[in-house]
Amino acid sequence: MKILAQLTFGAAALVLSAGIASADKLEDITAAGKIVVGVKQDYRPWGYLDSDGNIVGLEIDLAKDVADKLGVAVELVPVVSSNRMEFLQQGRIDLIIATMGDNEKRRKVVGMIEPNYYAGGANVIAPKGSGLTAWADLDGKDVCAIQGAYYNKQVARDYSANIVAFAGVPEATAALANGSCVGFVYDNTWIESQLASDAQWAEYEMPFVTEQLQPWAIAVPLDELDMAYGDKMRDIVTDWHKSGFLIERNAANGIADNPFLQEQQDRLK
Amino acid sequence: MRASFYPKTRSTPPVKGALPVLLPYRSPQATQLSLHEKLFNGWTVLALMLGFAWIMVQQVWAQSGAAQQASVPDILLKWTPVLLKGFGFNVLISILSMAIGTVLGVGLGILQVSPVTATRRTAWLITQFFRNSPWLVLLFYCILLIPFEISVFGLDIPFPGWVKAVIGLSLPVMAYMSEYMRGAILSIPSGQWESADSLGFTRGQTMREVILPQTVKRLAPSWMNLYAVLTMATPLVSIVGVSDVMTLTRSALAAESRVDLLIPMYLYILSWFFIYCYPISRLTVRLERKFAVKL
Repeated sequence: MKILAQLTFGAAALVLSAGIASADKLEDITAAGKIVVGVKQDYRPWGYLDSDGNIVGLEIDLAKDVADKLGVAVELVPVVSSNRMEFLQQGRIDLIIATMGDNEKRRKVVGMIEPNYYAGGANVIAPKGSGLTAWADLDGKDVCAIQGAYYNKQVARDYSANIVAFAGVPEATAALANGSCVGFVYDNTWIESQLASDAQWAEYEMPFVTEQLQPWAIAVPLDELDMAYGDKMRDIVTDWHKSGFLIERNAANGIADNPFLQEQQDRLK
Repeated sequence: MRASFYPKTRSTPPVKGALPVLLPYRSPQATQLSLHEKLFNGWTVLALMLGFAWIMVQQVWAQSGAAQQASVPDILLKWTPVLLKGFGFNVLISILSMAIGTVLGVGLGILQVSPVTATRRTAWLITQFFRNSPWLVLLFYCILLIPFEISVFGLDIPFPGWVKAVIGLSLPVMAYMSEYMRGAILSIPSGQWESADSLGFTRGQTMREVILPQTVKRLAPSWMNLYAVLTMATPLVSIVGVSDVMTLTRSALAAESRVDLLIPMYLYILSWFFIYCYPISRLTVRLERKFAVKL
């Protein structure tokens, strides 16, 4: 019955709760003694589960560093592309570090922290000898993809590729291995790290020039962007680039060198 | 003297009055196998296990060339503790949804046979609405409309995703339960009402003390069936961002990033659901047979 009561309250408090916003997020986090970070748990090696059920990866290292610098504990909440911004808006999480591309549309919803901490683009992983050499070769062919990836639309429009979208990477790669599509269009960073590290991709290659480079950003709630909390996050990301922390963590997680990280370090030094 | 007239073989029955002629009539139909009984039996389990084993063996053969990779059974075993936690979560969600849905559904079902027209109509409308809405849509509404935290008089009540999922799943359970309840009440012969009336019972008393106790055994099989269906529907919560066994399976697949793991892994999870739901289904069949009402 308690839950029934809560349900009733839920409807009533819907309107009320929207108005209750904290005065200062940074103070709230320090007072609570923990920062809640939304991370991916299905995007190896940026954020993934180990067999003990812990989330690990590059972005988890970043989340832990943020917590260390604020002097608080870290709580990781697994998010997916479709719910991360809603979680941040609702206050369910304090920070997004979840392979999120920075673009104009999203800037209207969440506070993107500059400088960007990472960058990735689109490329295709295809079996060797498939005859694909340029993006235009995808014309009229079935290409596996992930639902909701920002580059799907452009690949379909510019190269007349027939996008076959799957819910997750395992499904898409399985379809690629079955020959259901000529290639799998996905983040170049992911493809590079897979080709470099995994023997099952020995007969595959990344035949195109990476396109649609998009910087990734960590995000805070929009109204915190110009407050103390947003400033603190900007300082932290700047420091990551300056100190070489990002480059070091990138390598430690077995990800191929990313020219963007070097560029940023040179620029900010 | 008289006893010697009877042959020795015809000994007295062990229980007084348990003569064959007094045993209840069993209709030949009641002993016939129902469709789901034909489909879900030991052979299905065997076929499932064989299919699973075949895929395992096939994997091992396919990999004989590339021996450096871990075998599929090893990987499944490695992830079992994590996935079991997720499965436990599914079971927890199903039990809580069932409990809430049952309590609400019984109430709604009683209201559906209320003598007050307005009450009856309202209960009917609520029942029909939730019974004919897709479960996933109800879940989406619950996840998106209920805030993650509610402040009531300065007290913060947190609403994690799984609580919302429980509420979302309990709504259709409530509606189905309401329909079962209405049917069970109407299936009690009207003579019961009349007799209770003639004994001076009020309507409320008749309901509580005469009718409802008799509906329990009529409800039991459909109630358990509903529970099995609900349990198998719990992976829906993975779509709305709750870390259930499906979400964790996906994450495990992503972490392993092995193309050949997809089918064995999902089959492994399927077999868990089967092993959990199969006994419930068997028990339902037994109860159905036991409580079969001959008209």
